[in-house]
Amino acid sequence: MATRSASSKLSMRNLRANLARFLVIGLFVVFVLVPLYWVVITSIKPSSDYLTVPPVWFPAQPTIIHYTAALFSYRGLQGLINSLIVASAATVLSAVMGTMMAYSLARFNTGGQHLAFWVLSQRFLPPVAIILPIFLLFRSWHLYDTHIGLIIAYTFMTLPLSVWMMYAYFRQLPKSLEEAALVDGLSRWQAFRMVAVPLAAPGVAAAAVFVFIAVWTEFFFALILTSRYAFTLPTVFRAFLGFQGAQYGEACALATTSLVPSIILGMLVQRHLVRGLTLGALRG
Amino acid sequence: MAHSTTSRNLPSIPSGNPSGLVSAWADRHFKWLMVAPAALLILALSIYPLLFSLWVDFVNYDFEIPGHAFVGFQNFAQIVDDPLAWESLLTTIILSLTVVAIEFLLGLALALAMVRMFRGRGIVMSILIIPLFISPVIVGQSWALFLQRPFGPADYLLSHLLGHPVAISWIGEVPWVYIAIVIADVWQWTPFVFVILLAGLAAIPPHLYEAAELDGVSTLQTFFYVTLPQMAPIILLAITFRLLDAVRLFDIIFMLTGGGPGTATYTASFYLYQIGFQEFHLSMATAGSWLFLILLSVVIMVLVRRLLRAEAA
Repeated sequence: MATRSASSKLSMRNLRANLARFLVIGLFVVFVLVPLYWVVITSIKPSSDYLTVPPVWFPAQPTIIHYTAALFSYRGLQGLINSLIVASAATVLSAVMGTMMAYSLARFNTGGQHLAFWVLSQRFLPPVAIILPIFLLFRSWHLYDTHIGLIIAYTFMTLPLSVWMMYAYFRQLPKSLEEAALVDGLSRWQAFRMVAVPLAAPGVAAAAVFVFIAVWTEFFFALILTSRYAFTLPTVFRAFLGFQGAQYGEACALATTSLVPSIILGMLVQRHLVRGLTLGALRG
Repeated sequence: MAHSTTSRNLPSIPSGNPSGLVSAWADRHFKWLMVAPAALLILALSIYPLLFSLWVDFVNYDFEIPGHAFVGFQNFAQIVDDPLAWESLLTTIILSLTVVAIEFLLGLALALAMVRMFRGRGIVMSILIIPLFISPVIVGQSWALFLQRPFGPADYLLSHLLGHPVAISWIGEVPWVYIAIVIADVWQWTPFVFVILLAGLAAIPPHLYEAAELDGVSTLQTFFYVTLPQMAPIILLAITFRLLDAVRLFDIIFMLTGGGPGTATYTASFYLYQIGFQEFHLSMATAGSWLFLILLSVVIMVLVRRLLRAEAA
């Protein structure tokens, strides 16, 4: 008897704990999804459905006119292309330079802890503290409002991420294969290029995806360093500030265009998320 | 084995010829050559701008006025004398502490709820992390759309939930505008804290819980005497990262409130942007950003050094 009542008390407690758990999870899932749903659904709403009471949660006649308007009338397509160019180039540069530096830091302890710490501290440097001199520098070097200028800025911005993610990765990899390669007569560069990099390829790929997402979603540098020519997708949203022209559909179409690729990429690196968010300080 | 085949195929380099000398030199300085590209780029785009701006701080730098007359501490004085500078700083401090506190509590609750397995956990996990991959600009805009009357459904939903009509001017009125910013920031960054804390929770050795259970310790006591102490370094890590990002709050402000109503939601970054890039007081903005950086460096030093120590331990 006693054991049965104890176990039923325990299961009551379990039930309540589970209820609380799923309430927390459920509420947060709704909180995440509702605004997203509103944006995606507004992007296919005809404008007559904008201001109805009650709000239209699913349009009777979905339309794609807002997408064509956002891409062609608001230069969204140009922004999309620029974002692709800039993000791809910066990703390659950042991954290559970051992997090289990380390898040196991990294998040779180059510069002691100071160099690694210095790179990490760049991650916390507020952009507003350095953007004005960079802006003046870019103007005098004719890098202002160019793809190359923005690529350089974003490579710089994402280096702490790629260096530290790869630093953590290399420290987990055994040295023995590279040492064997050196004994076989390979130069240090060849040992890096032909032994270490192939082994670290999954880590490099994950770091590269995080760099791409960081550049794809960045706003501040692009706002200051570009204007009519090299502007990226996030800066196009300035056209919708205040929604004076009631371009709700266009704004949402552009938002959907921008968020779908980065969410898909994010799902691909979900396994590496903890390392990506903490720059390798924590293993996921 | 991959490496033995590659070495067999490589031509052996006779010592003494120029390319051999170069490669020997490259091998000797290998570790610095590997560091050089990244280090030089960081130097060029962070140390150089900081030194350059240090000079701009003490001159009158103006596109309109030729020459850069030395003005001493006048630029700093202008910032310190501007009440809006202080208000923006205060807004930044209050907003960032508020959002980080809420994100920590919600993130912890979510992590505790998600740490054990259940059916569909993978899908739920994927949904919870979505906000991390969205541009803050879009987050700001989406919440503006969701909250703003007459278009947004927020007031309509609230009216139904609460059972009486709600007509809140989310973007145009204090204090609602602060709540709107907090909601948008919490939406975007709670997943960040959650993911890190979840990793920390999952890493706690199960035998500690088993020991606590054997000792007949209550759930609450287990939480305070086992879970929290075990998680302390990871909590510090999550809060450090979040706090240092929260103080630079700009994108959401730019899209959601534009600093308004009036100047009520100016943050430090938004203020410096306005001064520098809208009013073109370049020297004043630079002086302000140096002061901001000095304030932040103190916080960075304390938090990040402690973090490194916690990780080394």
